[in-house]
Amino acid sequence: MIYNLPQILERSAKLYPEKTAYSFVTGSLSYSELNEKAAQLSAFLLRQGVRKGDRVGIYMNRCLETAIAVYGIMGSGAVYVPLDPAAPAARTRFLLKDCDIRHLISIPGQSRALINLLSEETGLVSVIGLKQEMAVRTFSWEDVFRDRTPFKRPEILGKDLAYIMYTSGSTGAPKGIMHTHNSGLAYAKLSAELYDLNEKDVVGSHAPLHFDISTFAYFSAPLAGASTIIVSDAHIKLPASLSQLMEKEKISVWYSVPLALIQLLQRGVLEKRDLSSLRWVLFGGEVFISKYLLALMKMWPHARFSNVYGPAEVNQCTFYHLENPPSINEEIPIGEIWNNTEARILDANDKEVKKGETGVLAIRSETMMLGYWNNPELTERSLFREKTTEGFESVYFKTGDMVRKNEKGELMFAGRNDRQVKIRGYRVELDEIEALLNAHENIEASAAFTTESDNDGKEITAVALTDNEKKYDSTAIRVYCEDHLPAYAIPTNIYVFEEFPRTSSGKIDRIKLKETITEKRYE
Amino acid sequence: MNRILINYISGELIGGSEDVAINADDDLLGSGLVDSLGMMKLVLFIENEFQLKIPPEDMTIENFMTVECISNYLETRIQNNTATVK
Repeated sequence: MIYNLPQILERSAKLYPEKTAYSFVTGSLSYSELNEKAAQLSAFLLRQGVRKGDRVGIYMNRCLETAIAVYGIMGSGAVYVPLDPAAPAARTRFLLKDCDIRHLISIPGQSRALINLLSEETGLVSVIGLKQEMAVRTFSWEDVFRDRTPFKRPEILGKDLAYIMYTSGSTGAPKGIMHTHNSGLAYAKLSAELYDLNEKDVVGSHAPLHFDISTFAYFSAPLAGASTIIVSDAHIKLPASLSQLMEKEKISVWYSVPLALIQLLQRGVLEKRDLSSLRWVLFGGEVFISKYLLALMKMWPHARFSNVYGPAEVNQCTFYHLENPPSINEEIPIGEIWNNTEARILDANDKEVKKGETGVLAIRSETMMLGYWNNPELTERSLFREKTTEGFESVYFKTGDMVRKNEKGELMFAGRNDRQVKIRGYRVELDEIEALLNAHENIEASAAFTTESDNDGKEITAVALTDNEKKYDSTAIRVYCEDHLPAYAIPTNIYVFEEFPRTSSGKIDRIKLKETITEKRYE
Repeated sequence: MNRILINYISGELIGGSEDVAINADDDLLGSGLVDSLGMMKLVLFIENEFQLKIPPEDMTIENFMTVECISNYLETRIQNNTATVK
């Protein structure tokens, strides 16, 4: 019986030793090779003094070594913490200290970023993965792979901590989401079953390791014995090359944020590529604007499309398989609750809403996090405890996402609960404004948020991303809003941009966008 | 041509203030020197600077990996353009 995450790899190394586990532009690793290298890293970490439950950082962009690091760290009984090498050094230093990370696994390609990171105190003792003069001890991958003495894996229980992923909360400091082997493995089993993943599949992994979507490629795919193609950073930036890679590798299951798929549609020269091997296209992390989804489904009629929903705190909790392409303005449901999971839709007083009403989605599941690292107060605030029988309670995670059920009983996403604002006493849904803008044929994406008005009140600001050649300006957008929105909901400020700042996971970076706007206004 | 591209990339895309020297054979895409947004800016810059349109099928790793690759690509494009005009 499998009850911890390293057993996923051990099992597949027995069942499919020669099969490719992970492949990257620079090479590939079979299941037995990966199993051996991961064990060598585990042994090396234990010799460095790493003990069960210690946090070990992974500081890498997309590369083959990510797989060795994930399984090597977990195999030693330690907890992996993926860090974004593109993040500002100050933020990374905060995470290193917050999590008390003493060892960092990296690659030679990150040497420039590492030197910058180590120019101030970090609490690190060693960096593993490149040999270079630095402020701390360094070890090359050759050092790791030299030693072949067998090691004894510490006993790892399902309840033990497996990984911590940080998300930037919309306000305040980053939150470390703690997952156990149980919650990670439950997600791997449920998702592998839902999409019928099998050893013949070739999974396209687009997400960087610090983004929670990556658990599909690092847990679910190896559980099914599938081969995973780790898409390189270069391919991510050039969709025409990405579609070439998808064709060459005969990718059968794709999972990414909608943005990657929209870029493929716009610049991927898809009409020239044979992607008939695609059987599942999974997307999540953000709302997929239906006009693009419609176009893509027409382009790939042989593939099935599925909307994946779930905050990183619960991995995934709902799914919606699209049977037909959506119409242009149709909202795509987040669908139904998946197996071994229960949901409540709660009002502001934690009471269940009436049928068809909107409320906050709360989730109880085996895939749920243990809590936020080093922050029991925040953890407690995120929970909803329901007394069942005397001495028993059901604990739900409040997602902060507003949902309602449609007539068919499907869950519909209705925005973040902090995206509902009051403007001069009127309740305005910022996501509704965005949805309206996104539905317009000349607008590629949009963001709506509140800004401070000159007289210290709140006002709505909207930014639309448009194609330069379409000459669609803010006046035209205002007219369009006036035709469709009540007066109080029409954005006071409307800007047109030709590009949007994005987070490293591909989502619109609203914080940065808001800063840009504020600077623009006071110029 | 390399000079123009290097000046633009180091000046506009990576902020100029960094003590990062860019060489014509540096990997722009894998190293994190240029991000997705930067890539789009670079394409727009090239289209304006050299008065040509880069079709999506030409935006590939082979053509954009390094400054050297971009120069080679652009030279081929410019030669072909002149050939068609003649």
